[in-house]
Amino acid sequence: MNRRAFLLLGACATLGVVVGCDSVVEALPGGEFPRGPLEAPDSTTLDPVSHMLNRTTFGARPGDWQRVRALAPDPHEAAQRFAAAQLDPGSVRDLPGFWARSRFDHLEEPLGEHYEYNEKRLLAELVGATVARAAASERQLFEVMVQFWSDHFNIDPTKEDCRWTKAADDRDTIRAHALGDFGDMLRASALSPAMLWYLDGQANRAAAPADKPNENYARELLELHTLGVDGGYTQRDVMEAARCLTGWTAHPLKPFKTGKVEFVPALHDDGEKVVLGRRIEARGGPGDLDQLLDIVKNHPSTARNIARKLCVRFVADEPSGALVAEVAREFLRTAGSIRATLAALLGHQEFLSSRSCKFKLPFHFVVSSLRATGARTDGGEGLVRFLQRMGHTPFHYGTPDGYPQEPHPWLGTMLWRWNFAAALAEDRIKGTRARTDAVAALHGGAEHALGHLFGRRATPDEARAILGSGRPLALALSAPAFQRF
Amino acid sequence: MAADHTLVVVFLRGAADGLNMVVPVEDDGYHRARPTLAVRKRDALPLDGFFGLNHALAELLPLYREGELAVLHGVGSEDGTRSHFEAQDLMERAGQGGGGWLARHLRRRPGPRGGALSAVAVGEMLPECLRGAPSATALDSLEAFSLGDGGAAFTTGIADLYAREQGHLGDAARDTLRSLARIDDLRSASYTPAAEYPTEPFAQGLKLVARLVKARLGLEAAAVDLDGWDTHFAQDSLMPSLMRRLAEGVAAFRRDLGGDFARVSLVVMTEFGRRVAENSALGTDHGRASIMLAAGGGIRGGRVMAEWRGLESGLLEGPGDLPVATDYRDVLAPVLARHWGAGHLPEVFPGHAPAPVALY
Repeated sequence: MNRRAFLLLGACATLGVVVGCDSVVEALPGGEFPRGPLEAPDSTTLDPVSHMLNRTTFGARPGDWQRVRALAPDPHEAAQRFAAAQLDPGSVRDLPGFWARSRFDHLEEPLGEHYEYNEKRLLAELVGATVARAAASERQLFEVMVQFWSDHFNIDPTKEDCRWTKAADDRDTIRAHALGDFGDMLRASALSPAMLWYLDGQANRAAAPADKPNENYARELLELHTLGVDGGYTQRDVMEAARCLTGWTAHPLKPFKTGKVEFVPALHDDGEKVVLGRRIEARGGPGDLDQLLDIVKNHPSTARNIARKLCVRFVADEPSGALVAEVAREFLRTAGSIRATLAALLGHQEFLSSRSCKFKLPFHFVVSSLRATGARTDGGEGLVRFLQRMGHTPFHYGTPDGYPQEPHPWLGTMLWRWNFAAALAEDRIKGTRARTDAVAALHGGAEHALGHLFGRRATPDEARAILGSGRPLALALSAPAFQRF
Repeated sequence: MAADHTLVVVFLRGAADGLNMVVPVEDDGYHRARPTLAVRKRDALPLDGFFGLNHALAELLPLYREGELAVLHGVGSEDGTRSHFEAQDLMERAGQGGGGWLARHLRRRPGPRGGALSAVAVGEMLPECLRGAPSATALDSLEAFSLGDGGAAFTTGIADLYAREQGHLGDAARDTLRSLARIDDLRSASYTPAAEYPTEPFAQGLKLVARLVKARLGLEAAAVDLDGWDTHFAQDSLMPSLMRRLAEGVAAFRRDLGGDFARVSLVVMTEFGRRVAENSALGTDHGRASIMLAAGGGIRGGRVMAEWRGLESGLLEGPGDLPVATDYRDVLAPVLARHWGAGHLPEVFPGHAPAPVALY
């Protein structure tokens, strides 16, 4: 579909509106449902392969366990080989991810082009592409980290020009560096038009000596993006950091320059600054930004903050101080290599032994349901409606701290998890369909299919409640075991 | 003990500028610090001669004049980080007691444990103040709170699966099942509110709370959020609509409840206020003290309660902020004490030396 057709179709852009619900899924490019057996390990607890799949992907698809298990004779070794490949996404062939992305090719256009789109459609495309790629991509750890950094550098795409610029931020800041170098991502974020709009970098200017800097971005840079709230900075550091960043501006809607980011010397406070005890000489001009980012990205508090967040995502809600310290050391040692930091984490004993203790956030629950049932989805309204009801639609969080990662705020979503499970099992989600044999296997009373969903053999109580109910797939996806990972 | 009383907590997230809502129109320091943003005396609605109400909050004036609504100025927490998230968490946890203050109140207050709908958060997520509540439901409409048609076997299956599930997940699932049963009953009864509400979500949330209050289902606490108060930029274009939503929603809630308003205590709070001086982007940056509002349940309103020392620069804190003269816990505690007794308050607000405000 070319841009004109896209604009003309506007809110009706999904094929579903044109050709009706039933053909939507079959009409998706890329052809087929994921293949593979609906079986899983025959053990009563999670084995190392199921554990690794649980933590580094948005859930195992049919056949994933068998494929990973075959990578090495020893299950630990097989799991580590899978992780190593996932840490190097370029090495993973990803046709399903390609097809999922191909339906959203407007997102690949230059930022200036995005200003021509209806902002609501642009946001719907971004959400749809995010869901579709999380569900389909073979580069699962990459997609997991995309979500992690999207929350870390959260931007609300309803604020001012973020409406048009967040899509490019997702591509050029988050996806460009999700498994790369933290410093590169931090710099891309600091100079991202969307971030300049979101945290008022636009308004941070020193045109006259009496002008006070706007400290909004500087505060979140220290509090959220780098050192963390207990990272040892002061209100004075916030103001000094804000001074360093005066003058960086994204052009609003204008011919030829739309969205372009520029340093405007006349709006920059060029005096001397002291940030975290380090001096930044006067007349640094645009170089102040790089000096500032160097100071904060190499700060030990930043390593600790990022390490802790990674440990919470991948290991446990309350990771041990020793684990956090070890992961932080690797972050510092490699000057912010995300890949190396994650490799240290995924090989750590505490990671290996903390199985099935994490509570899936709603997005994870929904996408893992799709993957477990080998479902295909257009990422459209029919599916996103459920994420909205659970309050976890990508790019719909207003404040810069990103969606909360701990279980508590999400405990009120049980009803909508159950509703989603029933709708998916009974093929009532427009634009999304589970592999029919996944549904049939459970309806046929196949206990091995439960093993696939839970990553271990079902307990007798689970099997009794689920298989005798008349709605086995809905119940299996609703079960406590499927809410954890 | 008032078994049938409901505490409604409205949280203005993003740090609402109390100085722009309840304006110290007679304070010269205020006008000097805000050459562009200050509300002039003739534009404010007079409250007590010194303070004036922003006209965008005009719908609250009848409550104030009827003596039902009290304003507290210079209120805040001990938080000095000026971080939204830290300050909100600190205020909602209110000390190292484990979980949120409202949850501890619900757990520790005298009387039997609350039922399935004893605590409701309007929206999709549970706020920090309800962390660890014996039962808490995120709810945004009765119609939506359902497992659909033919749910009996499904519901039974879920009840079986979660029957022996320990911890938060099991509790959350069982609370949800109980709430479902109650809301099914409520939904089947016909109902018309006694006042017309604006259609936006904040007012609709209060409408839902009023319905639960009137149905006498044992609702003890409701949390309603109004987001978007972080006005670093172009404050005069952002704040009026927020203030109108707040005032219109609360006014409709009051009208709807009629005589039942005596069974409700409503408090409005925010994590901190904003800097006294405006910034170069016609906005205000993070500050310290702001306002609280308290209404209903016998509160002696029609007063602005403030220990006002003025806004001269020597009287301000840190980078130029209104210091906290009243701790937010000293506003919440008397409300809890009035309706649920004071015995459990040391556990609700641990480590706090009480100096309760005379709300009654």
